[in-house]
Amino acid sequence: MSEPFEPKITAFVCTYCTYAGADLAGTSRLKYAPNVRIIRLPCTGRISPMFILKALQKGADGILISGCHPGDCHFTHGNYHARRRWMVFRALLAFTGIPEERIKYSWISAAEGLKFADLINSITEDIRKLGPFDQYHKLIEETQAPASL
Amino acid sequence: MSIEQLYRTRAKELLSSGEVKMVIGYGAGSNKERRRPLFITSAEECDKLVLDSACISNLSGYLLTEGLLSDEKRVAVFLRPEGVRALNVLAAEAQLDTAQIVIIGFDSPKGELKALEGSSVEEFTALITALKEITPETAGEEQLAKIEKMSPEERFLFWQEEFSKCIKCYACRQACPMCYCRRCIVDSNQPQWVNTSSHTLGNFEWNIVRAFHLSGRCVECGNCDRACPVNIPLRLINRKMAEEVLNSFNHFAGTSKTQEPVLASFKKDDSETFIL
Repeated sequence: MSEPFEPKITAFVCTYCTYAGADLAGTSRLKYAPNVRIIRLPCTGRISPMFILKALQKGADGILISGCHPGDCHFTHGNYHARRRWMVFRALLAFTGIPEERIKYSWISAAEGLKFADLINSITEDIRKLGPFDQYHKLIEETQAPASL
Repeated sequence: MSIEQLYRTRAKELLSSGEVKMVIGYGAGSNKERRRPLFITSAEECDKLVLDSACISNLSGYLLTEGLLSDEKRVAVFLRPEGVRALNVLAAEAQLDTAQIVIIGFDSPKGELKALEGSSVEEFTALITALKEITPETAGEEQLAKIEKMSPEERFLFWQEEFSKCIKCYACRQACPMCYCRRCIVDSNQPQWVNTSSHTLGNFEWNIVRAFHLSGRCVECGNCDRACPVNIPLRLINRKMAEEVLNSFNHFAGTSKTQEPVLASFKKDDSETFIL
């Protein structure tokens, strides 16, 4: 029997809220799926859309982007800027055929360790159901093939 | 007097009175259908100017040529309404001072050439505001609806096929008046965000980035679309993104020179439905 598909999920999180929330999930001994790779950034405003493309380029099947709730940003309005950017970028990705279900966005505060654990579990389940992002993986394979002369 | 004659005389007056140091207009191209940009600095040359419905390219990008406006002298430029919108966007992004630009406005709805009143961007405000209300009847509208009806997989395949043609010549970037960055993200290699070889993956990334950087800024002049040597329907993506910012933020690029750039501003009540 073949191994069940384990999705690779990249999470871009802000250090002041979601990362602290993930930390709380850890110190509270909450169990969540090990499929997520967390990348900590100073603020959601620092999350460039390039990061999303880079994660896909490196073979991610799903992506989570998460930061402070509106009004809670450590830098007062980084997450408001980020929200606009996501709204536009999400529409663009959808239009080019990158499924919306693979890229999730959330607000998770430092107190929401439980929400973090639950979200990671549910995203992992969702992506597992969707299967690997084959269409994109094929493009990656093409870049690794030796050049035909 | 034809509009072409009228504007030649206008250009002559502007140059001989010293009001402007240069007129940027259109000249004859390599064949009957093509026009090429013309940069005129003396009144004698003004007879070379051509103006007809084949003058379609947006000349506003040439204004950002390094050093052109740094002596604070004025430059006159032939512009269609979308060219004036481009001026507004560039001014709003502090790339130029509209006081230095004399607009020679024209348009050719349904192939019929007409002159547009006014020489400063402010005089075009009413015209541009009216444009916002009109749904553009671009040829792509049908195709856009078709793509939107597709499933994500089909859309991916559609764009995969289109982008696989891309040779990364960056003509779309060079032709675009909004692409003025001294160092484009694709030219940066530490880190290398976008693959430099023209694999479909890198092409995909480049085209997504290009469209994202133009979201809320594109005035849909079509320069990129015409410049593309492999005919990727770039204008479709730009159109889609323009619709998106209009629907989400009621933002129509280039309505005034003080308009806040849509992705450099925010409202606390921007409403979305997808953030968990």
